[in-house]
Amino acid sequence: MGKEDVSAKKRRKINTSSSSDTSKPVPVDIYKRVVEFEESEAQLRPAEKDATLFKKICQDIRHLFAEISELKTKDTDEAREKINAKRIEASLNLVALKKLNRLEKVRTRAGRDALHKEKQRVDSTHLLLQNLLYEADHLNKEVTKCLQFKSKDEEIELVSLEDFFANAPAEISRPDLTKTDEHQLQLARLEWELRQRRELSAACNELISSKERVAAAIAAARSRLDALVPHLRDVLKSTKPLQECLALRLDDKRDEARAASLLPSPLFLLFANTSAYSDALGSNSVAVSISGDEDEARRLEQLNNVDSDLVASNDSDSDQENNEDDQREKKKRHHRNAKISKEEKAEAKKKEVLKKHPLNVQVSVKVQDGTALNLIFSYLLHLKIVVVKFTVSLPKPITGVSAADVLNGHCILNELYPGDTGCDSPHPATSYLLNAAGISEDFQYFISELGKPYIWAQRMCGLDFMATITEDQKINKNNNLCPSLSVSTVENFILTLKKRLKSRVELMKELQDLESGKILPVKGDFPCPIRLSGSLTQWQSVGWPEYSQSPSTSFLIAEGLVNPNDLLYRAIITRQSAKLVALVALRSDYPRKAPMFSLTLHWNGTHHAGINDDIRDIERFINTDLGSEDKKQHTLSVQITKLLTCLDILLETTGSSEFPPDKVMFCPVRGRNRLKPYKFLKQGNGVFVQY
Amino acid sequence: MLDKILYNTVLSQTLSPCGKYLIAGNIYSQLAVYDLDRILNPVVELLTSDYNKPKHIHTLESGHQICSLASTEKFLIVGTVNEISGWDWKSAVSSKLSKPSWSIRIPSRSSMEQTDVNSLWLSEDESKLYAGCGDNNVYVFHLEDGRLVSTFKGHNNFIHAIDGRHQQLITASEDGCVMLWDTRTSSSHNKLEPHTNSKVSRPDIGKWVGSVALGEDWIVCGGGPRLALWHLRSLDAVTVFDIPDHGIHVSFFYDDSVFAGGAAKHFYQLSYSGEVKVELPVSATTVYSAVLRTNPKVLAIAGSSPEIDLCTTFNYRDQVLHFR
Repeated sequence: MGKEDVSAKKRRKINTSSSSDTSKPVPVDIYKRVVEFEESEAQLRPAEKDATLFKKICQDIRHLFAEISELKTKDTDEAREKINAKRIEASLNLVALKKLNRLEKVRTRAGRDALHKEKQRVDSTHLLLQNLLYEADHLNKEVTKCLQFKSKDEEIELVSLEDFFANAPAEISRPDLTKTDEHQLQLARLEWELRQRRELSAACNELISSKERVAAAIAAARSRLDALVPHLRDVLKSTKPLQECLALRLDDKRDEARAASLLPSPLFLLFANTSAYSDALGSNSVAVSISGDEDEARRLEQLNNVDSDLVASNDSDSDQENNEDDQREKKKRHHRNAKISKEEKAEAKKKEVLKKHPLNVQVSVKVQDGTALNLIFSYLLHLKIVVVKFTVSLPKPITGVSAADVLNGHCILNELYPGDTGCDSPHPATSYLLNAAGISEDFQYFISELGKPYIWAQRMCGLDFMATITEDQKINKNNNLCPSLSVSTVENFILTLKKRLKSRVELMKELQDLESGKILPVKGDFPCPIRLSGSLTQWQSVGWPEYSQSPSTSFLIAEGLVNPNDLLYRAIITRQSAKLVALVALRSDYPRKAPMFSLTLHWNGTHHAGINDDIRDIERFINTDLGSEDKKQHTLSVQITKLLTCLDILLETTGSSEFPPDKVMFCPVRGRNRLKPYKFLKQGNGVFVQY
Repeated sequence: MLDKILYNTVLSQTLSPCGKYLIAGNIYSQLAVYDLDRILNPVVELLTSDYNKPKHIHTLESGHQICSLASTEKFLIVGTVNEISGWDWKSAVSSKLSKPSWSIRIPSRSSMEQTDVNSLWLSEDESKLYAGCGDNNVYVFHLEDGRLVSTFKGHNNFIHAIDGRHQQLITASEDGCVMLWDTRTSSSHNKLEPHTNSKVSRPDIGKWVGSVALGEDWIVCGGGPRLALWHLRSLDAVTVFDIPDHGIHVSFFYDDSVFAGGAAKHFYQLSYSGEVKVELPVSATTVYSAVLRTNPKVLAIAGSSPEIDLCTTFNYRDQVLHFR
């Protein structure tokens, strides 16, 4: 198409407004000019108007088509004419459409370009923002790093502010400056600190050197003393012949004293007090000696000294010592043999805990007839208690089984003081110590091998455990040694023990007689009837199981009057077909406490106090002091004599022909309880009455 | 030496007329006063461990055993040896026992002789006191002036128990006889000898009769011989009670049953036909005393033991009192 066409069209289309542009002469490339023109036109023309124009033209074309088709149906010349006209008109319209389309295309491209440009701009701005943010972050980090910086001076402990201002000289403290400036204050304090430390270090050095000087002086003195020992020994040796000549026992005494100095302090206290007592009373009634391995004791003492140097604290803290020992032991074992079996370890540990001091004190107490009791006191180093073993030596052998028991075995020291059975450790800490050493057994388990920890033994050694001692007024808070306690206890104990020994010897003689069926004639004013018809046929000691199983004793046991520690005997008294079994319980402190009888009569059935009032009446008469006010001497014999009398009375009052009455009684039975006359009245030949 | 109280024996008990107090007397001449109110209806907050101990224990000056106790509206009557004394109730339950309000001496032949007052019985109108004594006699005293009204003689050994009803009195003795007396004429009109009856006799225990009680038509008695129910008019042993005892010391009628105890492990309640209704286990080796009251319902059983058993339902032992 020619440009004339285009311009013509344009002219038609944009009638007035653009006619001036097109008419301008174009010197440059026509195509370019057209393009530029079109672009500017597209810019200038509003898009909405073009859109409505486009729609209108489309409408016109449709109308034209419709008219053409109508005319075609007519098929006339006139119509043909018209059709031609119309056809031209429609074509022109199509040209306009084309123009509009072009404009639209140009416009779209321009919009797209603009968008693209805008996008690029946004991108670059965003990049810039990122850069700035990163930089800010980095700067922040640097700031915190700076803030967290630690200076060395913060670790140094400084004197407090008040002290600093009070003590430091003004040229260091510079109060006018430092009072206001925190940093200057810190610097000043540091300076003061440095100067003080320097001074102290100098003083320390000086002291160390003076100490060394003194140590050297001591060593010199010691070596001089050591040189003196052989001389002294020579002197001692040379006095020996003189001592022998004059029969002085100075050396023995000295040996004893040396051994005594090695004793652990509780045993030393015991030894000192008892030997003083024996000096005062003469050695034939109380004798004391020390036995055991002296060298071992010396070694132990040295070890202890080292320990006490190391551990400057008190020695009562036994746990600590134990631990130390344990640790030492462990180390040794590790060196020697890493694989020692567990049992061996436990065994060794047990031995260590239950270790005795190698020295022990022997005390022997004698009574007049030559019977002596040898007590061996040993000290358990770790449990810190004293245990006692003992033997009895007799002037002549004892006949009779039950009599021998009285002096032998455990029972002689049993309950020397009330409640003191020696069956458990009096020290409250013992069980903890045993537990700490990993020993599961109670202390009782070891008593048979170690000896008994009687409370009196602890007190004789000045050990006082408040938990178990109630009668003592002054209670010591810890188990410090109490010498006055030992003094008073030693005397008390020896007297008590002598009394006990004496009464046991007497009891032994009495039992010897009883066992052979003899009953000692009763001395004193106890009224004795002329003839006793029953006889003691057996006297035997019995064990607790047999005693406690008898129905007759259940009452005494239930009342807590008899316990397994008592001496238990069975006496059998017979008269014709009647047999009376008496179970007798002697308390440990017999004859202070009277023996207790529980009776079973086998005659016409079995009778005991639980089911028969007559037996109960006899028991009442014998066991309580209803029947007599006599002296305490020979209580056992007195009671058995009484028992024989009562049995006679009971049997004779039954009216059985087997037992003819030969005792004088006012009335054989009296009262609703049908009481028999057990009480003897000295009237004429003697009468038996109820009350 | 053991404490004699472990071998305590309570021979008699009585209840105060108000039912508040139980009095028990033992062979050591001690009287124990129990506050039943406190024991049976305890206030839990005030309950102490000694609630079952006596409120007071009085010891009599004479030192003789307390053989029997009885109570009237006004007095507590205590029979000891050679003497019967009366205290008014107010002083008896106070903390300190004063001098007795009155006392009667038992007439005796010689000064040496000691006469136990083994059993006391009061006539229904509480005007006369009958005392069965250790000198084989029953003495009747007038309570108003303490005058001896009459003496019933006839037994050959000491008297264990007496009981009565209307004009009749019955006594049981160590000699093995049970005698019936007319209180108006002071003479014995009938006599029972259980040990001669082969159904009831137990020669190994003895012929003594420890207890007797008189009912409307019946007599119950026992001792060495077995506990048996006898018909009052024909004097036949109608029922012989088969219980494992070694001597009867307590028996009485209550509510169509016979209550009995003695040297046995139980205290028995028996029907007239001989069946055992209730067996109460007892603390005492031998039961010497049982007292019963319906308001408040209480049965106290005592004997040779420092314990007294208390039953409030009569069916089981629910409390044990200590006399020590």
